[in-house]
Amino acid sequence: MNATSTTIAPVLDFLAHTLTTAETAFNKLPGSAVIQRYVKSSHQNDPGRTILELILFIFAIRTLLQSRTRAEKNFIKFSDKEIDELVDEWTPEPLGQSLTPQEQADLAAVPIITGPNGPKPKLVSTGKTAINLASFNFTGLSGHEEIKERAVETLRKYGLGSCGPPGFYGTLDVHMELERDIADFLGTEAAILYSQGFSTISSVIPAFCKRGDIIVADRGVNFSIQKGIQISRSTVRWFDHNDLKSLEEVLESVEKERKKRRGPLTRRFIVTEGIFEKDGAMVDLPKLIDIKFKHKYRLILDESISFGTVGRTGRGLTELYNVPASKVDMLVGSVANALNSCGGFCAGSQIVVNHQRINGLSFVFSASMPALLSVAGSEGINILRNTPSILASLQENIQAARAILDRVDCITIPSHPASPIIHLYVKNSKSSLHPSTATTIVPSNKPSNPTSILPKDAASWDWDVQAEEKILQDVVDEALAQGVLITKAKRLRGQEMVDPRPSIRLALTSALTKKETEKAIGVVKNALVKVLSKRR
Amino acid sequence: MALAKPASISFLKKRKSQTLSSPMPSAASYLSALSQADARARNHNNAGRSPTSTPALSLSSSITSSSEDTVLNEDDTIFDNSDGLALPARPPTSEQVFTTVHTEFGHCADQRYRLVSEHPSGTELPSHVDYDPPYYILLSTYVSYLILICLGHVRDFVGKRLNPSSYTHLIPKNGYAPLNSDFDSFYTRRLKTRLDECFSQPVTGVAGRTIVLLDRISPDYNHTQIFTGNRTRALNISSYNYLGFAQARGGCADAVEDSIRRYGISTCGTRLTGGSSDLHTISEALVANFVGMEDALISSMGFATNSTFIPALVGKGCLVISDELNHASIRFGVRLSGAHVRMFKHNDMKSLESLLREVISQGQPKHHRPWKKILVIVEGLYSMEGTLVNLPAVIELKKKYKFYLFVDEAHSIGALGPHGRGVADYFGINPRNIDMLMGTFTKSFGAAGGYIAGNKDLIDRLRVHGHSGAYAEAMTPAVLTQVVASMASIMGVAVPSMNPSSSTSTLRLTSATNSAPNNTACAIEEEYSHPGAAPPSSLPQWLTLPPALSSGIEGSNRLRRLAFNARYLHNGLNKLGFITYGHPASPIVPLLLFNPGKMNMFHRMMKDRQTPIVVVVVAYPATPLVTSRVRFCVSAAHTKEDVDTVLRACDEIGDVLDLKHGIKPSERWSVEQICERAVEVAEM
Ligand SMILES: Cc1ncc(COP(=O)(O)O)c(C=O)c1O
Repeated sequence: MNATSTTIAPVLDFLAHTLTTAETAFNKLPGSAVIQRYVKSSHQNDPGRTILELILFIFAIRTLLQSRTRAEKNFIKFSDKEIDELVDEWTPEPLGQSLTPQEQADLAAVPIITGPNGPKPKLVSTGKTAINLASFNFTGLSGHEEIKERAVETLRKYGLGSCGPPGFYGTLDVHMELERDIADFLGTEAAILYSQGFSTISSVIPAFCKRGDIIVADRGVNFSIQKGIQISRSTVRWFDHNDLKSLEEVLESVEKERKKRRGPLTRRFIVTEGIFEKDGAMVDLPKLIDIKFKHKYRLILDESISFGTVGRTGRGLTELYNVPASKVDMLVGSVANALNSCGGFCAGSQIVVNHQRINGLSFVFSASMPALLSVAGSEGINILRNTPSILASLQENIQAARAILDRVDCITIPSHPASPIIHLYVKNSKSSLHPSTATTIVPSNKPSNPTSILPKDAASWDWDVQAEEKILQDVVDEALAQGVLITKAKRLRGQEMVDPRPSIRLALTSALTKKETEKAIGVVKNALVKVLSKRR
Repeated sequence: MALAKPASISFLKKRKSQTLSSPMPSAASYLSALSQADARARNHNNAGRSPTSTPALSLSSSITSSSEDTVLNEDDTIFDNSDGLALPARPPTSEQVFTTVHTEFGHCADQRYRLVSEHPSGTELPSHVDYDPPYYILLSTYVSYLILICLGHVRDFVGKRLNPSSYTHLIPKNGYAPLNSDFDSFYTRRLKTRLDECFSQPVTGVAGRTIVLLDRISPDYNHTQIFTGNRTRALNISSYNYLGFAQARGGCADAVEDSIRRYGISTCGTRLTGGSSDLHTISEALVANFVGMEDALISSMGFATNSTFIPALVGKGCLVISDELNHASIRFGVRLSGAHVRMFKHNDMKSLESLLREVISQGQPKHHRPWKKILVIVEGLYSMEGTLVNLPAVIELKKKYKFYLFVDEAHSIGALGPHGRGVADYFGINPRNIDMLMGTFTKSFGAAGGYIAGNKDLIDRLRVHGHSGAYAEAMTPAVLTQVVASMASIMGVAVPSMNPSSSTSTLRLTSATNSAPNNTACAIEEEYSHPGAAPPSSLPQWLTLPPALSSGIEGSNRLRRLAFNARYLHNGLNKLGFITYGHPASPIVPLLLFNPGKMNMFHRMMKDRQTPIVVVVVAYPATPLVTSRVRFCVSAAHTKEDVDTVLRACDEIGDVLDLKHGIKPSERWSVEQICERAVEVAEM
């Protein structure tokens, strides 16, 4: 100890000197006396410690500064003139590339409806009416006279816009009523209303899932969920699309990982959909709930398609499977799809809902929805509740459609038999007869990699997206020529995490009779057969 | 008029307690004036029936009912003017016929109270002068927060030991981590809860000049709120109803009713998959004209307009330069896009330029490759500060540094500029100098949703590659109609020329039909020159606006009323000695409170006045810690007397709460002086 203190004595002297000179400036700071006393006494007791502390202090500051200016680590110093030159030289890319001819054609083919939309709308392009299997009018509430009447009444009392976010005088009594109605309808404690269905779940997820939390999500989740997950910055693990066995495996591997790292307990969520927007598959809710409770995860379930379309009165999957909705922690649904209004909701416990009133980004930072749309939603629920025949005839139409489509050879249908949206894939020319062989053709028992969203069979996907899009568009055009309006599922190619397979997406409605549905589906079938057989 | 009787009685009873300085009419004189006005209205109406009458003289078809309706629009509550909100300060004179409901859109015929919202040409945008409050205010503010935080921690510490059951939602339970961590929720639990009575106040009815509050009380320090069942009408200086189009009556509401009956509630689906209506096409063409761009795209939510279209504009390898105070929706969109983000100091052009020089010269981080493109995102009018973007300076920089410019006009569209076309209009700049103009309909237009406008190629790109087109529900017909009707009445509708081959009109494909080439109809469209009147073909055929609206007279009146009210309130508050932020032309007027404790007080004192006034108070994290503020949003619906009322209230409360720390006391005016010389104050 002595030896060291003599060798570094000059250094210490200098240090003491600097300390005293800094003292004057230092004294001016409030609370400086305490620090000063501490440093002094520590210096006298043990000079070595002072140095150690100083080094530590400098090190701490350095790391702090470094983390702030990491971007500038390889900062190059330029003179003003050089910067001017660089600025002159720089030529940015155009803000947006023009559309390709294919995209332009697709855009031009988008149906535009003149007048009211409904089961048989009139199209701008042809000037004729067509049977509508494209628009979301599952429950046939579009054009419902009672709803219109209520909406007009509301307009005359509330005007149109709410002119403010919910926090600042944008919460109307009719919003609270619709929230109450949704919660009562589903049987949850509470619900919260967002003003756009699409933006709902992409705000719900980041409201709860923060950095470090764990999300285990289905590989087939819709775009909005993908965006919500991206915003949340949580750790994501993926399980195979609609495969609950794969889910269990992933949950187990996550738990193993946590035990190995002895990490703290973080929030953990399973995120999936009731009926998948991507392909119409349906999740086995009771089993999912069992798994969720067994592994102590919270469940965020997107019922945007299934709410209002399955179950006896349209309460969605929870009614279909007879599972209390309160077992789903965050049940997200749409007021736009089956209720034919606008907006979305998240139902759950009081705590879950109140949390979102402060943390749901698109709830807090956006104006609340127009009063009349909210009332239209309430009225829609009321009608569903009192008219179970709506759901019965919707399901009847779905069955009738499937009875025809399931026998068409040239397509495969990934959708659940009760799903109101029916996706049609072109049957792969190479993969053989049975519809379900597409996935089983490469029987691989190796589990997929949960850190990647890519399905394990992605390598064996052999469809040509461009060609299939084109063929399917031909089918759409052919059907329209025969008076049936259908549409391809529109995708944001290049922005989706996994590029979904091109498909035609039929949306059935209770507003058509079974006969009409059968006739329309017959037209679709003929169009499919005609176009697809030409390809061979 | 069964209402008239109890009305006059209660009115007389309460009159004694009136403290309003404006001359209050007696009920009898008022009603007689009304009946005269009625007779006039009927006459006018009959005249208005003939289609050849000039628009300026004839009256809107919406006023077939008695004009008493325009005052006494209460069918479920007993008419009572004790708050001075239901009756105009003066009964209408024989020349004045009001077509709006006074509680929704105030009656104000005095042409002195009008101004044009325009940047004086040849001048610089005045840089913001910061008045610093005295030190003791700052100190006490910091100390307040310190006390709040310490108290909060003490309460947590004690509470967790004495009353653990109320903390169970903050600690892991049954193997579930808490939804809300102790630390994350500290601010909400211990600071915001104290202010909760100022937030999320439920209301009913129209968010117009006045608003009806559903009264509530909290028995347990804001943990729960109980509705008392009573309602209070209050002067509404909080809603983003800049042009006063939040109305349940009048030409726009009539149009909306018509559209609901024609189109139903929804268009059933997304824009690209069977949810597009001809109304969308029409509205988008009108919006494009309104903002002066080639094409526009409408989305059903303002927030989503930013969050779903920005990712289609920029991506990896691109840089977004964003004002530090940009709205959450912009941040959301930018984060989704995957682009690199840098921020510059709020509205500070020097900071922007030095950042631009740095990023262009350095290129992308690590490998220093040049950026693919740089997008600068600013707002036209900042919703918490009331500051205007220095658009002329940004455009200058844009010429030199070749970045693309995205302006979010959520608050400025409709609210600024001699023609209501936003910041570019205010500064007299050609909007085509800006690449992307985004805005919302929730504010000035009394509707919902948003738009994004730019050149046709870009907008078409967004139609296909923006997230909304494929996945988000389309805007509903009712909302579209409100947008079209309000927008057309701001623009005025051009009188159709009888001869389509005359020099003023040309045969060309409208942008609307371009986006749907299948559309065989080639509209004959009058050449639109920005910022002019809307071509008649840009409205749906079934929609006829009442002449007051289609002539643009009412629209221009609204614009000028808003401009007057904004300047009057802003300058009036300054003259009273308050510290305000923002530009005098801005309809958003933030008044600085500093101390968090004063927010509650201010809010409550304003609400408990004889003429209740509802205000928005904002604090950290929406503002910097020390600059808690109250934010007024004036509207064209306010009368000059309404602004007087607000000024008087602020004057009294400002004295009580010690808020006047702006200009020197010797330069201040009394509130009486200000109200009397309002025109002078507004023009200061
Ligand atoms: C700058 C800005 N952008 C976007 C929005 C979102 O608009 P909306 O309320 O229509 O969703 C707002 C609303 O507060 C805003 O201030």
